[in-house]
Amino acid sequence: MIHIEGVAKRFGSNTILDGIDLRIAPGEVVSILGPSGSGKSTLIRCINGLEKLDGGSISVDGHRVDDPKQLQLVRRCSGTVFQLFNLYPHMTALQNVTLAPIEVLKTPRAQAEQEGRELLASVGLGERADTYPAQLSGGQRQRVGICRALAMKPRYLLLDEVTSALDPEMTGEVLAILARLARSGTTMLFVTHEIAFAREISDRIVFLDGGRLLADLPAAQFFAADGGLAQPRIAQFLSKMSK
Amino acid sequence: MRYTDFSYHDIVLLLQGLGVSVALFAATTLIGLVIGLAWATLRYYRVPLLAPLAALLAELLKNSPVLVQLFLVFFGLPVLLEMDLTPVQAALITLSGNTAAFIYVIAVSAIESVGRDQLETARVFGLSRWQTLRRIVMPQAAAFALGPLAGLLVNQLQVTSLISVIGVVDLTKVGAILNLRTLKPFIVWTVIGLLYYLMARLIAAACARVEARLRAHRQWKGL
Repeated sequence: MIHIEGVAKRFGSNTILDGIDLRIAPGEVVSILGPSGSGKSTLIRCINGLEKLDGGSISVDGHRVDDPKQLQLVRRCSGTVFQLFNLYPHMTALQNVTLAPIEVLKTPRAQAEQEGRELLASVGLGERADTYPAQLSGGQRQRVGICRALAMKPRYLLLDEVTSALDPEMTGEVLAILARLARSGTTMLFVTHEIAFAREISDRIVFLDGGRLLADLPAAQFFAADGGLAQPRIAQFLSKMSK
Repeated sequence: MRYTDFSYHDIVLLLQGLGVSVALFAATTLIGLVIGLAWATLRYYRVPLLAPLAALLAELLKNSPVLVQLFLVFFGLPVLLEMDLTPVQAALITLSGNTAAFIYVIAVSAIESVGRDQLETARVFGLSRWQTLRRIVMPQAAAFALGPLAGLLVNQLQVTSLISVIGVVDLTKVGAILNLRTLKPFIVWTVIGLLYYLMARLIAAACARVEARLRAHRQWKGL
């Protein structure tokens, strides 16, 4: 369970997150929608401890992110996929995937490599395991990024606008994998601008605007005229995004 | 045979001088590399007191003439510490320190060239600071540093010629000896210069090879 309670984050005089409350239960797929600058990515960065909280608290399976020791445990049970992939450029696809299992989980190299190859094969990159990121397309890179996160066998997958840097075709490749993960019961917190896709795979949809949580509704209800669409800000956002 | 003629023995003398220069260059490069990287590591870990101290020391060493440093060590240190210092020891200390200062500067900028996103990613995946340095930062920083490093090493090779001033019989000192005896400065200094040139080319070529290996991952091989 991810518990987010009254989380606030400021950069200087800029308030990015302003009292966010959110709970994500194991097995749930929760999409976070909202305009650019609404704090979606910052919320992800608060959960994996890349940003210090200015208020409130976050705990993942009971481990608090504001305690350095417990943060390590939070990072053990959550995996992050980044908007700009953030692959290690000097390592092959396979090395990218196996680094953390070998160094952090102390998985034996042979086992880590076998699991890594299986993961890469499962996203259609079996043949590209020994290539460097510079030799991969954007969609392939992000698939490696997803494998790298999955290799840690996380209970929670944090996805930070993972298709924003990809063209529509490559976006399709990546979303197909995420849809499969969602169906297989992986818990996902999915920051995205892919509204149709979010609607399809999510259990719940959360809407952020100006650092505040405007809606937290079951997916069907979010898009219903008497649900999320009843809020003018959400209706406005959705109509703009669908154009 | 007149004493101004060249003899076969002069070749032996030249090779000895070359050996001394190369040995001192290799030794001071190695020591300088270890010390410079240690200073850069202090900075990476932001060790209080020691990190700023290393920065100050590097600053002083890289902004003063090597010849002045050499005199300070050779003439000054024995007085201060009441000890004997051979010219070779003085040369080792001075050149190592000088190389360390420049290695430090190169290492610091190389470490800073590694993107913040790389450090954040390593952290999110639970890697310790040391694991991050070893597996993420160092390989990428090394590829970045090799160009400047090659330039530095070629320069430091030339700088070793200064130690002839305090009596180390290196290649330049051998040149001075041969010059005095044969009275043929144009030939002697041309040969000496060419020998330095060849060494410099060897160093540059070696660095280029290592650099090509470290940058292999950036090569675009097509999809």
